[in-house]
Amino acid sequence: MEMVFIAAALIIGLGALGAGIGFGLLGGKLLESTARQPELGNQLQTKAFIMAGLLDAVPMIGVGIAMYLIFVVAG
Amino acid sequence: MSPTRKRINRLPFLQWLAIETGLIVLLSLVWFTESRLAGYSAFVGGLIYVIPNAYFAHRMYRFEGAQHAHLVVGNMFRAETVKLALTAVFFAAVFILMEPVHVPALLFTFAVMVALGPLLRWFIRPQPQR
Repeated sequence: MEMVFIAAALIIGLGALGAGIGFGLLGGKLLESTARQPELGNQLQTKAFIMAGLLDAVPMIGVGIAMYLIFVVAG
Repeated sequence: MSPTRKRINRLPFLQWLAIETGLIVLLSLVWFTESRLAGYSAFVGGLIYVIPNAYFAHRMYRFEGAQHAHLVVGNMFRAETVKLALTAVFFAAVFILMEPVHVPALLFTFAVMVALGPLLRWFIRPQPQR
């Protein structure tokens, strides 16, 4: 049973790590490119918004599977 | 941004919500052919995606423009954190409170919506106001 919790922790933890690195890069590049070309700020914000949706797809599904493991498989 | 300030982008919130809800209903009807429980679970799985994402979109476009770039990025980080937390809470609530639940329908609909969400936002993206 403990292995289920370890699996859920790994899914959530590694998902959060990937999302954190990705969002850090995305936010940093957004700030950098907006500072370089302020007139493109709106377009860049829209593209960052779309990329954020792609970026957190895997962690979101991971959260769903981890909750299933914790509350249904182990519960 | 003060409330009186004019928005730079026109956000298609209602279009996004309408199309996403339509997709959820469609997927629920497909699962409904298997069983009533599967259809209901699929609808709940879709809602688990739509509600945190609506919050994310609202929070991300609270500030706009190059002058507020630092606030945009800060809000993006906060919105993402809250979105993941809300998703976890909703899943936990469904697995604890909803008994019985058709797990494949719930997770499949959620995964399909997660994959289609960015595509929808790509095709119907915020347009600058003229």
